[in-house]
Amino acid sequence: MPQELSSIPPFGGFGLGLRRPHYDDFLGPDTVPVDFVEVISENYMIEGGRQLRILEEVRERHSVILHGVSMSIGSAHGLEPDYLKRLKALAKRVEPLWISDHLCWTRTSAHNSHDLLPLPLTDEALEVVCDNIDQAQAALGRAMLFENPSSYLTFPEDEMREWEFLSEMARRTGCYLLLDVNNIYVASQNHGFSGQEYLAGLPLDRVRQIHLAGHDPSTAERPVIVDTHDREVSDPVWALYSDAMALIEQPVATMIERDENIPPLADLLYELDRARSASGVLEPA
Amino acid sequence: MTDRKTLAAKQAAFMRAILDQGAPLPKGWGDSHALGLSVYRGNYRSALMSALEETYERTARYIGEEGFRTACINHAIANPPSHWTIDAAGEGFDRTCADLFPNNREVSELAWLEWTMLELADAPNSEAVTPQDFAQASASFGDAEWMGLELTFQPRAAARLVTHDMTALWKSLDEPGEDRDLRGYETPQGCLVWREGERPTFIMTSADTAQAFIAVQTGARYGDLIGLVAGDDADEAAITEAAQKAGAMLGQWLGEGIVTGFRA
Repeated sequence: MPQELSSIPPFGGFGLGLRRPHYDDFLGPDTVPVDFVEVISENYMIEGGRQLRILEEVRERHSVILHGVSMSIGSAHGLEPDYLKRLKALAKRVEPLWISDHLCWTRTSAHNSHDLLPLPLTDEALEVVCDNIDQAQAALGRAMLFENPSSYLTFPEDEMREWEFLSEMARRTGCYLLLDVNNIYVASQNHGFSGQEYLAGLPLDRVRQIHLAGHDPSTAERPVIVDTHDREVSDPVWALYSDAMALIEQPVATMIERDENIPPLADLLYELDRARSASGVLEPA
Repeated sequence: MTDRKTLAAKQAAFMRAILDQGAPLPKGWGDSHALGLSVYRGNYRSALMSALEETYERTARYIGEEGFRTACINHAIANPPSHWTIDAAGEGFDRTCADLFPNNREVSELAWLEWTMLELADAPNSEAVTPQDFAQASASFGDAEWMGLELTFQPRAAARLVTHDMTALWKSLDEPGEDRDLRGYETPQGCLVWREGERPTFIMTSADTAQAFIAVQTGARYGDLIGLVAGDDADEAAITEAAQKAGAMLGQWLGEGIVTGFRA
């Protein structure tokens, strides 16, 4: 930890991702009953136009979280200065609750996959990740959250479990955790460990946010569960969410992530109420 | 700090395996890794396809599903994404289309237009100089001020010559369907693209106007513009006529709200 960063106070609330099909809902006469909205940072790291104006109008009504997909915190080639500069400018514009990204890598020095690729869980990768997080947090002037990834393979050279990697990463850098419960479930099924074991191995006091999403189950032809964000949250993920909420002592922000087959806003609000019930904030219907 | 070459080499091998289906599996990988890799390969391809489909909706409609898929594959192989925003993956798709459809220039022209509209949508906001403001400011201009006048246009506004009527083609591609309004020109005409408020828009214009617009963007002054319109070895009458044409162009650009600054 090269510099002292302000801590991120716990925030308990329930929110949704801001997606284009719901712009009119969020800008309409009725305030959408959410405690925050999360936006994909890269969609707004632009210089002007309608998209940015809409974000600013939504920001007048709701707290905003910036969630990135392209920082590539695990890249052996380091971070892109232009990316950090634009992200910082966006953060200054919207004053988010916090900024998050994923424990993954997306690019080499030459190419960008635009996918959240898995890291080998080695000491070398841990050092790279921690150095990059230090650089990002220093550039942004704030602590960040990093999300556990969904993954479809592990590496023969792995030296630790994913929760051990995340724990050490948080300890060394002072970053916080965005716990994606669906990703834990997907990875646990694909790689043969228990979600409860994963939760028990994490420094849960560092968790500030939880993601819930749907996935594509495995099939005989493709015996891998895929994190798709294109359907409702599954029952096993709801169960694991309840387990997580029972273990986490501080307030955390929970959101439903939906990026494909986006339904009417009312459907997502209904799912969000289920999260409220599962966490004990709302009596079950 | 440990030597990062190992991780860099592993990431390079992983990336090669994603970009190239024929690339060998990274060292030490078996069947379970191949299965996982197939998911990442699928994600890469579908994300790229979605981004290109979103940017080039009309081009896709015009050339059809199979043709568009072929164009996307060609484009991705020749130009694998390197920028942090996936929107940038569509850059240069008009050149890919020009190579693939050399006898249908309207395809690359349409792709250029869609790309330019996308670029304009996120361009920095700017305030237009109104015709009234310009008239007031230029009322006292003498010949020297007019000849040295420099104009600034909206960020990312663009012009080019095209061989087909983009307005007709664009409109006929509003919805999926078979009826396409393709009108070729005997000589290329201009297509001028800018943003009205938050909405990217375009018009067909004369070739002279498009070339003059490009010249001003690349530093030509008003005096240069008159020379450009008049052509080489112009006599006095031709220069007078060129000055009138340049005045009409300036009036058009001011009227459309494309001029955002000027300096005499």
